[in-house]
Amino acid sequence: MTNNKSDIIIAIFLLCFSGVMINDSSNIRDLGFEGMKADAWPRVVLWLLVVMSSVMLGKSYLKFKTVSDKDNENFSINLAKFKNALICFGMFMLFLSTLDYLGMLIGGILFVFGLLTLLGGFSHKLIVKHLLVSILSIGFMWMVFTFGLRVILPEGEILRVW
Amino acid sequence: MFDVILQAGASVLLDPVTLGLMGIGTLAGLLAGAIPGFTIAMGVILTLPFTFGMSPIQGLATMMGVFVGGFSGGLMSCMLTGIPGTPSSVATTFDGFPMVRSGKPGLALGLGLWSSFFGGMISAVILVALAPQLAFLGLEFGPWDYFSLIVFALTITVSLSGDNMIKGLIAGLLGLFAACVGEDEINGVARFAFGSDHIRQGFAFLPVLIGLFAFSQLLSDVEDSAKAKAPLMKNSAEAIRVEHRKAIATVLMNWINLIRSSFIGIFTGILPAAGGSISNILAYDQAKKASNNRNEFGKGAVNGIIAPEAANNATAGGALIMMMALGIPGDIVTAIMIGALMIHNIIPGPSFIQDEPLLAYGVFIAFFAAHFFMVGLQAFALRLFLLVTRIPMYILASVILAYCAIGVFALHNITFDIWVMFGFGVIGYFMRKLGFPLAPMILGVVLGKLAELNIARAIGISDDYSLFITRPWSLFFLIMAIVSVLFPFYQNAKKRYFIYKNVCSNKHDFTCLTIIFNGKPCQNGCGRYITFSGMLFHL
Repeated sequence: MTNNKSDIIIAIFLLCFSGVMINDSSNIRDLGFEGMKADAWPRVVLWLLVVMSSVMLGKSYLKFKTVSDKDNENFSINLAKFKNALICFGMFMLFLSTLDYLGMLIGGILFVFGLLTLLGGFSHKLIVKHLLVSILSIGFMWMVFTFGLRVILPEGEILRVW
Repeated sequence: MFDVILQAGASVLLDPVTLGLMGIGTLAGLLAGAIPGFTIAMGVILTLPFTFGMSPIQGLATMMGVFVGGFSGGLMSCMLTGIPGTPSSVATTFDGFPMVRSGKPGLALGLGLWSSFFGGMISAVILVALAPQLAFLGLEFGPWDYFSLIVFALTITVSLSGDNMIKGLIAGLLGLFAACVGEDEINGVARFAFGSDHIRQGFAFLPVLIGLFAFSQLLSDVEDSAKAKAPLMKNSAEAIRVEHRKAIATVLMNWINLIRSSFIGIFTGILPAAGGSISNILAYDQAKKASNNRNEFGKGAVNGIIAPEAANNATAGGALIMMMALGIPGDIVTAIMIGALMIHNIIPGPSFIQDEPLLAYGVFIAFFAAHFFMVGLQAFALRLFLLVTRIPMYILASVILAYCAIGVFALHNITFDIWVMFGFGVIGYFMRKLGFPLAPMILGVVLGKLAELNIARAIGISDDYSLFITRPWSLFFLIMAIVSVLFPFYQNAKKRYFIYKNVCSNKHDFTCLTIIFNGKPCQNGCGRYITFSGMLFHL
């Protein structure tokens, strides 16, 4: 996925990120004590990040100018290649967003079942297999944490009402 | 001291619960090490949440089991299928797999197993002897020395992180920045919180590490649909009876190789950033150079199995020396191990062995005892491993993703930690894809607060910045840091000089010049430019 073009984009992004953070570091309160201020270390880190990102930008730009146009054209974001990763991101985000309502047990089972089905396929046999895997795995872990390790996992609105 | 060792030994070895937990930990480590795509770090991460409710000694014994088991687990898959389970068993494949294919699988597995055992034992002895002495030395370190040591640890990680040092440095700086977010340790002032109370508390250490490493790894594992749906291993393997007696005799007959490789492993483990992935190849290379039958290497040579396996288990002991004595993690695994110790309110450092001798020696004895479990459980782990490899990766990844969420929540009982894991998981995934090494970032996260604390202490004690270069240890670490950054450039220059001397017929030829300075012929469109060490010059 990497080439000079992508490195240029990343370097610019890192420069913008560093800029925003350096700007925000001016909001860090100074308590007036002796010694190193609270904003000193992060600023050192961020300025070093600016320097390194600039070097990366310069290097990538110079390489971009010297290699052939054909090599530079090779960079393209192929979303199909990242389909499974995007599915995982989406499902995990959904799982987290609904955690307060569904709880860890129901939410976890639905998350694993949904992810297994989206990644593995939709046939009848597979759906039954995925359902079993999700119920057994999450049910087992939920029991280990709740009863074995005494961790109070999010109960969720549904189980609470029920 | 002897009393303390006896007491610590009794707390680990005479408690059946602790022993049982260590056994389970070792089995988990063996499996994690054996499954290709999983790593020792993943094993440590996945076992960690189960130790929350345990006593410190039980938790530590379990983690030591995973740690030791992980280093030995890789040999099962690399020998039986030719696929290394972990990077620390890559060199074992060179001779282990050919020996299995030549009809001696029992001996091959036995050699790997017992070399790991003896290598681990040698490193355990060195660990007990050296760690307290190094910690004693560490007590003399001032904040200047500590800060310089952290700089050295970070730079050496960057220099070992591959071709693109700039990306390694950026990753390290991003890790240091992530450690800055939240209230600062010295003044308690909020930084980069953007009005969020959760961010004000800072990012907890383990959700960041689990996100960066485990979450992103799992996403990479399921990226290819076809591979994700297929069973983990296509090459079928059968459970094999290990030839213990013959293997022990053979390993002990090759004692020089065993000891040399173990010391290579220990030394590599002590070095920050250099782990089992390097030591096993170094030891294999040295064994080959020292052998009278070099031609046998690659075809099932006995010494080709003993060397990498002894070295990778010895690396674990070496890494523990540095971690326990100075609190500096050597690599990703030890960084996560430090997180695991912190869960049990144990912060490794120079004063730890003096302040908590029972726990410290408990760790050493657990490391020692875990090797016996490793030998005892290998046969059972082999059967389990064969079962697990029939499961497709997408099933394992989905279940483990949910498990990571439960484990991270159990850490502080707040949902925000799961969001942190998710956020850093996304960052880690894109960093992997964009060619940024993760090890410097992980070490940056682990060492960031320590670096800031020590530089603040140094400035608080004295305004004299020259102390960083006038104190001998600080100067030594800073010189080592500079050397570690410049060494890859030196290696490149050496490579180019070799090409210049041996390849180029006409040394003034433009193509030859570009080979010398660029390491390879210039591509089309190079024009009148050459690059040297990443900098472009106009001819």
